[in-house]
Amino acid sequence: MRDFALAAEVEELCAAADRLGRSSLAPAVRDHEEAGAWPAAVTDILDGFPLAGLDLPESLGGVDAGCLTKVAVLETLALHDAAGLPAADRTGPTVGALAACPDRALATSVAASLLAGEASSAFTVPDEELGSSELFWGPSNPPLRWIWACAGSELALVEVTGPVRPAKVLAFQASGGVAVPFASTTERGRWDIGVHAALAVRGRARLWAAAIAVGVAEAALQETLQYTTDRVVFGKPVAHHQGNAFDLAFAASRVHASRLVVRDAAASFDRDEVDAGFWATQAWLETMENAFLVTDIGIQLLGGHGFIVDHLAEKRFRECRHLAMLAGALDAAEADVAAAVLDVPDALLAGLEQQR
Amino acid sequence: MIELDRRTMEMLEEVRALGREHIRPMGLEADRTASPPPVDHPFYLICTRQGGLISGMIGAEEGPTSLDWKPVRNFLIGEETAYWDRGVALSLPGPGLGGPALRNTATPEQRQRFLAIFDDHSTARWGAMAMTEPGAGSDVARIATRARKDGDEWVLNGQKMFCSNSARADWVVVWATVDPALGRGGHRAFVVERGTPGFEIIKVEHKMGSRGYETASFVLDDVRLPADNLLGGESFYESRKGFKASMATFNMTRPLHTAHGVGMGRAAHDFALDFVRAEYPAQGRRRQRALERLARIRRRLHTARLMYLQAVWLAKTGQSNALEASYAKMYSPPIVLEAVVAALDILGEAGVRNDRMLEKLYRDAKILDIGEGTQQVQRVVVARQLFDFPRDA
Repeated sequence: MRDFALAAEVEELCAAADRLGRSSLAPAVRDHEEAGAWPAAVTDILDGFPLAGLDLPESLGGVDAGCLTKVAVLETLALHDAAGLPAADRTGPTVGALAACPDRALATSVAASLLAGEASSAFTVPDEELGSSELFWGPSNPPLRWIWACAGSELALVEVTGPVRPAKVLAFQASGGVAVPFASTTERGRWDIGVHAALAVRGRARLWAAAIAVGVAEAALQETLQYTTDRVVFGKPVAHHQGNAFDLAFAASRVHASRLVVRDAAASFDRDEVDAGFWATQAWLETMENAFLVTDIGIQLLGGHGFIVDHLAEKRFRECRHLAMLAGALDAAEADVAAAVLDVPDALLAGLEQQR
Repeated sequence: MIELDRRTMEMLEEVRALGREHIRPMGLEADRTASPPPVDHPFYLICTRQGGLISGMIGAEEGPTSLDWKPVRNFLIGEETAYWDRGVALSLPGPGLGGPALRNTATPEQRQRFLAIFDDHSTARWGAMAMTEPGAGSDVARIATRARKDGDEWVLNGQKMFCSNSARADWVVVWATVDPALGRGGHRAFVVERGTPGFEIIKVEHKMGSRGYETASFVLDDVRLPADNLLGGESFYESRKGFKASMATFNMTRPLHTAHGVGMGRAAHDFALDFVRAEYPAQGRRRQRALERLARIRRRLHTARLMYLQAVWLAKTGQSNALEASYAKMYSPPIVLEAVVAALDILGEAGVRNDRMLEKLYRDAKILDIGEGTQQVQRVVVARQLFDFPRDA
């Protein structure tokens, strides 16, 4: 991103995503959850964007529009309904893994199956201390076939070849959901890609989740503003009580902050910066912290209405926590940035760093 | 994000060298003696001779209408100077906060008249701006300093406080009201020059921190000013332009405050980072905990920097930035304090020693959440823009 402005073509793409979201996603959010999927008419349109190929390199069959474009579109769609995104964006959090995979033929083959709509993919950060016996959740529309795992400096790809079971989870029901025991998978490759590249792979996955979280948080903010300016308590709108007004202002500032860091990290990927993975992980941590606060305020200011499914506040509250559980959850991310913080220079003043 | 050109990097390197050699030692000395550097301090002359390289965030001749206006560069310089010592940074010669006030309100003739003194590179000179009063701090709309037209002159009466550098300034931009009943519509900005009869400094404050610059109070007792000292001329104040101009000033000073905060937070971060490198064992629970806290500081300071740069970029591109300026001002001060506290914790008990700079930063940082509108004021400003939060709520 240069000078904080999105390119005109990205704005146009976001406008199209916004129109689709308004007309086809927002009016039927609960129906999508019930059905376990977004309507085919919607996913067909998204395939035409193409959502899954938007930030995928051309060499892997994508259109290589860049990470910044992708996060802007994801945020826009999530504003209307995030629940089907993990399934609709079949490359989603795995774009970094696909791009970094040393076996180009294998990566191309995997990407082709995803772009063709034949398979879904998932990304996980195995816990090296606890050990990981299964993938706890992945999208299942279409069937989950590829799982990328990245820990330390290692990247691995496994293919689902055995039985899986339906996974009842916190959110994103419109993407289906399965749990996959690793005993039901067959390893297709394992590579030591180096610490920087591995952090970039994990960072790219985390940034994908962060972009969705920005949209969810923005939606929560907008609904809360709408509700609290309409509903009257103690003689004036909820929002006009100063304590509530302060919470709303705080929430708005945090959504703004999250959007900036996510787009900044995305631009860092687009410039192939060596520390993009570090800053993307930082963006995810920042966004998740903010999104929890914003969606919590979203429920709190709706009072009892926030707790019932007549409103979407509870859904957004669940979605943000779910997003924080992906890619190894927040603890793994904090460990990643802590491990790198002594070596990563200031993002803007790196050239001056040696003179401190 | 913003990419820095070579000239900006050169300037930042120059600031960094000056910071290490002059600014930080001056700040530590000012803190120890509880008084800002004297006006004839040699470093002020160095700055002046360099044409005010680091004298302020906005160059004397520069503004939104000028192709030479480099607010991003200037704000980064502001961040870097605050890294070494924010108090001293605020004390540096130049128009100071009066600069943006002039930029937003003055006629070309007035800019020439009041800013030309900064072209004289033989003597350090200061400008200042005064808004806060004993009865009007955060709620600037309540200022009570009166301005009365008397023939071809204006007569000012009132009192101002917490005014940076006003005791050493050649002129002070003073905000006054022609009629409190008009509310914001009554606001006017005047330039009061040093030596004007009735203008008297009555107190230089003793502060917990940020002692590198003076904070003064003054009275205006029948101060008579020529009509030309009304910034922008009378026509400027039609349609509430006066209050809007003062708010436009804040729309630049609030991001600058954030930039200063990022610099101070970076100073704490770097101090703690060096301490971890030098003193912590290579493995262990404490080291892991310290690194996680440092990583969090890095993240939040990076976010704060993006927020102020975006607010400045909006101004640079002619877009409204009132909301974003307040977002930045809301976000930054608690983060800076968190950074300093984390750094203190990382040093352990040694953190409280006053030869370690961090305890000074702890005292310095709190003002960031007060000056240019408190955290609470920012929330009011944001709420008014988000959903028309009523003024009497």
